[in-house]
Amino acid sequence: MVIWIILLLMTAAAVMAVLWPLSRHRALTAEQLDPDTQFYREQIAEIERDRERGVLLASEAEAAKVEAGRRLLRSTGMTADTFAALGEPALRRRRAASALALSVIPIIALALYGAYGSPQLLTHPPKEQAEGQRGSLDLMTAVSQIEAHLAQNPQDGRGWEVVAPVYIRMGRIEDAVKAYEAAVRYLGPSPDRLANYGEVMVLAKDGLVSSEAQRVFEQAVALDSTSPKARYYLAVAAEQDGQFDKAKRAYGELLAASPEGAPWANVVRQRLEGLGAEQSVAGAQENAPQLGADDIARMVSGLAERLETRGGSPDEWARLIRSYAVLGQRDKAKAAVERARQVLAQDDDGVRTIDAMAREMKLIDAGP
Amino acid sequence: MTRKQRRLTLIGFAGAILAIALGLVLYAMNDTIVFFNSPADIQAKNVPPGTRIRLGGLVKEGSIQRGDDQQITFEVMDAQSEIRVHYQGLLPDLFREGQGVVAEGVLESATVFRADSVLAKHDENYMPREVADTLKKQGHWQGEANAAPKTQ
Amino acid sequence: MFVEAGHFALALALGLSLIQFVVPLWGARANDPVLMSVGRATSLAVFVCIAFSFLALTVAYVTSDFSVVNVVANSHSAKPLIYKISGVWGNHEGSMLLWVLILALFGAVVALARNSIPLRLQANTLAMQGAITIAFLLFILLTSNPFTRSVPAPAEGQDLNPLLQDPGLAIHPPLLYIGYVGFSVSFAFAIAALIDGRIDAVWARIVRPWTLGAWAFLTLGIAMGSYWAYYELGWGGWWFWDPVENASLMPWLAGTALLHSTVVMEKRDALKVWTILLAILTFSLSLLGTFLVRSGVLTSVHSFAVDPERGTFILGILILIIGGSLALFAWRAPLLKQGGLFAPVSREGALVVNNLFLATACATVLIGTLYPLALEVLTGEKISVGAPFFNFTFLPLIVPLLLLLPLGQTLAWKRGNFLGTAQRLYAVFGVSLIATMALFAFEYGGPVAAPLGIGLGVYLVLGSLNEIVTRSWSRGTPLSVAWRRAANLPRSTWGAVLAHAGVGLTVIGIAATAWGVEGLATIRSGERVKAGDYEARLERVMPRIEANYREDVAVFTIFRQGQELGSLESMKRLYVTRGMPTTEAGIMTVGLGQVYVSLGEVAADGSVGVRLYYKPLVLLIWIGALVMALGGGVSLMDRRLRIGAPARAKMAPSAAVPAE
Repeated sequence: MVIWIILLLMTAAAVMAVLWPLSRHRALTAEQLDPDTQFYREQIAEIERDRERGVLLASEAEAAKVEAGRRLLRSTGMTADTFAALGEPALRRRRAASALALSVIPIIALALYGAYGSPQLLTHPPKEQAEGQRGSLDLMTAVSQIEAHLAQNPQDGRGWEVVAPVYIRMGRIEDAVKAYEAAVRYLGPSPDRLANYGEVMVLAKDGLVSSEAQRVFEQAVALDSTSPKARYYLAVAAEQDGQFDKAKRAYGELLAASPEGAPWANVVRQRLEGLGAEQSVAGAQENAPQLGADDIARMVSGLAERLETRGGSPDEWARLIRSYAVLGQRDKAKAAVERARQVLAQDDDGVRTIDAMAREMKLIDAGP
Repeated sequence: MTRKQRRLTLIGFAGAILAIALGLVLYAMNDTIVFFNSPADIQAKNVPPGTRIRLGGLVKEGSIQRGDDQQITFEVMDAQSEIRVHYQGLLPDLFREGQGVVAEGVLESATVFRADSVLAKHDENYMPREVADTLKKQGHWQGEANAAPKTQ
Repeated sequence: MFVEAGHFALALALGLSLIQFVVPLWGARANDPVLMSVGRATSLAVFVCIAFSFLALTVAYVTSDFSVVNVVANSHSAKPLIYKISGVWGNHEGSMLLWVLILALFGAVVALARNSIPLRLQANTLAMQGAITIAFLLFILLTSNPFTRSVPAPAEGQDLNPLLQDPGLAIHPPLLYIGYVGFSVSFAFAIAALIDGRIDAVWARIVRPWTLGAWAFLTLGIAMGSYWAYYELGWGGWWFWDPVENASLMPWLAGTALLHSTVVMEKRDALKVWTILLAILTFSLSLLGTFLVRSGVLTSVHSFAVDPERGTFILGILILIIGGSLALFAWRAPLLKQGGLFAPVSREGALVVNNLFLATACATVLIGTLYPLALEVLTGEKISVGAPFFNFTFLPLIVPLLLLLPLGQTLAWKRGNFLGTAQRLYAVFGVSLIATMALFAFEYGGPVAAPLGIGLGVYLVLGSLNEIVTRSWSRGTPLSVAWRRAANLPRSTWGAVLAHAGVGLTVIGIAATAWGVEGLATIRSGERVKAGDYEARLERVMPRIEANYREDVAVFTIFRQGQELGSLESMKRLYVTRGMPTTEAGIMTVGLGQVYVSLGEVAADGSVGVRLYYKPLVLLIWIGALVMALGGGVSLMDRRLRIGAPARAKMAPSAAVPAE
């Protein structure tokens, strides 16, 4: 509410800036009515002042005055009858100009601001964001302290383990990989450490479980066969290799072994659903070759292209976002969220669908 | 001198300067302009050795060899062919295997190029324009989605 | 909330500038002083609105408000404060906002200068400024809005391009933009004169300070950009004939021509039509510069935006403003009255020659810059027009101009005597010739260009100073009298002398680059790399961590002929947020020359590729530009410019000194 009053006051001030000179006509004297004459008169006075202060030589001042005087004469001769600031037509002109200012300025300002501004943000100032900032500042100092410490004691495995998740949050994935690697090297392998190490490797490859990462997860499972994270990624690896049955089985087992309400259960269930859907597509086409990663990628890019060129429903956008997220292409998923929000800006329900999907796919928080 | 004569002097003088400038420009156009080629263009157009060109493409993975005193050899490739490049000097910060590069220098033979300057992309989103266009034409371009500007 | 208010202020400014365009123009047609005076009030209001808007964006940057997309894309909470502020214009949207801010600032200053500009001229001028403001505000609001919000706000920004995290960036674009946009005032005055159909010496006198100021800032901006590229890009080059550099050089050349033709118009009421055309062309080239940089047509470090929609929009603005003004010119220029006569050999004649050379040189740069674009559009063939082209075409046009410069400066107005003038320069010719010969003898067999170029530079510096000497001293004059006379010479004369001497200094600095030496080697700690008399010994390479980057610092000790001069540091940085490496050259100033060390890769075994340059007298390139700008400033302070005291030849000799 306060902001609207402020914007209103700003508009009023802007309009006043135009109305004020228009309203001054009463104060005009005959001399001011001929501004050119006045201009040269003032110039002559200024030359006189300068001469008195000694800025100009007398001869220069004289010449300047003669010059200005000549122009004064010429301008009075020429404009005596042409300046028209009084009388009925002048009054009408002034009224028209006022009307123009009163209408054009608020209309243009409100129309453009309405189209491009974000007034809804004004009523809900993003308070939590300010706190987030303070947090990230503290984080930065903390990180640089840890880094300084680690530069001197590179074999401090615990330090590496502490800094690694922070790197992930800051988006420094490569550094996180190195940090976990160091942690594993100096603290020795443990199921959790290995699973985390593998996970960053996956993040670093945009969701692709490389054979290297796969070995790390297998090592983790060898140490602790229940490690959900490692098992999950092994299943993803199987899925990416096109071994859908194996992946399905692995997801199923993971779900069965998960405690009630485990945070990962939803993700696993979606994966499973996704697998089911793809298989039914594959099954529908008889003797169709098994869908490889390339085919999926092509289907997804087809969908993306269609949505981009011809548009589509919120559900279709949501599907695209999910596909990207499932394929591990988080960047593209995020871009799709942005794009969908733009395209569907008029459709509140649609935006809500997209936001829900983005939240579900954890695309909003940078953290894993 | 009359006004007319003065004007003619002026026009004559202006014409002379313009003619000189035009001559210089035309001569320089023939002599100093450097064409941009990809390795495939060099093969296709039969560019004669000794020609000064700009060579653009991707640095082939695993092709970089370093010698003494910053003598560097690497291969620039596109979809169809590749060419060996010799260069002595400091490589730009963003020179990487598998990334776009533009080298300017002289073609020694159909497969060897001696570069006197090497440019790489300036930041993560930037690929030398000529390289991007050529690769797009050859259907090798994949970086589009990542290279798109992040702001709307 | 502040951000939204800033956004709204920008929209308000658009409405106001529409009024600024329409009402004063109407007033001038209807001869209504009240309507005309609306121009003043609105241009002040537009400035206040845009300034507020800019302030709002700056506050968003300083407080790292990541709910603003622009801040997210170009800032980072760990960035030092100065780069948070300079980051405001380190990106496309913000730099366009800076552009209109400066435009509005100039409008406001024109509005405040009420006592030095006749009302009708002022009203028309402000209306034209309003028109330009409308175009650019629309461009910002519709295609490059810096106030777009992102919800929910990300926790951290993506940081500014590391190449731009440099004090140079804090200064370079504002200076350059003040220059570019300053020419919009000359342009607006020219259009106003065309609309009014009236133009005379008063017009020239009013316009000249604006042109002069814009020119001085553009000079500083170009010099600053050149020095920035020199130390930041790590190649040790100071001018690359890069299209973006050409984009700033072209308005400078045209602006320099404009400056000189305005002098002719002011003194002799001649060259009116040409001056108007130059004013239009100069600003058109400024706009073209903005277009080339902003549209992403040319990919280079400076292209922050690669977006065809924006390109099309700017192209539209360009066609509208340039095409419109040239059409107006073609329609109205024949109505302007021709002015005074002059002989071909005279100061006026010399200034015409100056204009011809500058305009032609500018045209060759324009051709070299646009030809590759045109060829690519027409044939698809890709070419690069580089330094060889420009050296071959530009230098033959500029060198004769420089050779004629001291002569022209010495010629009398209206009708000059070429031989008499040359006589006054005998001493200058002699000294320059001796200097050139001495340099040839001293360097035997070195590059030919260096002594010749330095000789030319010396000739320019002495030729300019000669002006002061011959005007204040003749044989038998006591030194104190001469000194007083020199001090009493008009400031504008001193300004011209300084600016021309600055050209000479720059020429010396450029010529001396031919003596530069360089060495390249892969070395380890304790080993040396050699370039001419200079050597650098690598002491150690050590890591260092700063808030938003990590770097490997190589410490070198520099020797000249075995004698230790001191030590310097070169860096190889990695900006973590963008994962982008940069090279920071280590520079040590020795007299007017510099030792410049650039690092290559740091190999795993601790060896480093190192390039060592010694560049004698290189600082003169930029010192010369500073002196040129200083000359502009001194000339600007000339009181007579403002009140327009005419200086006629019939007056007493001491006062007859033609203001330059």
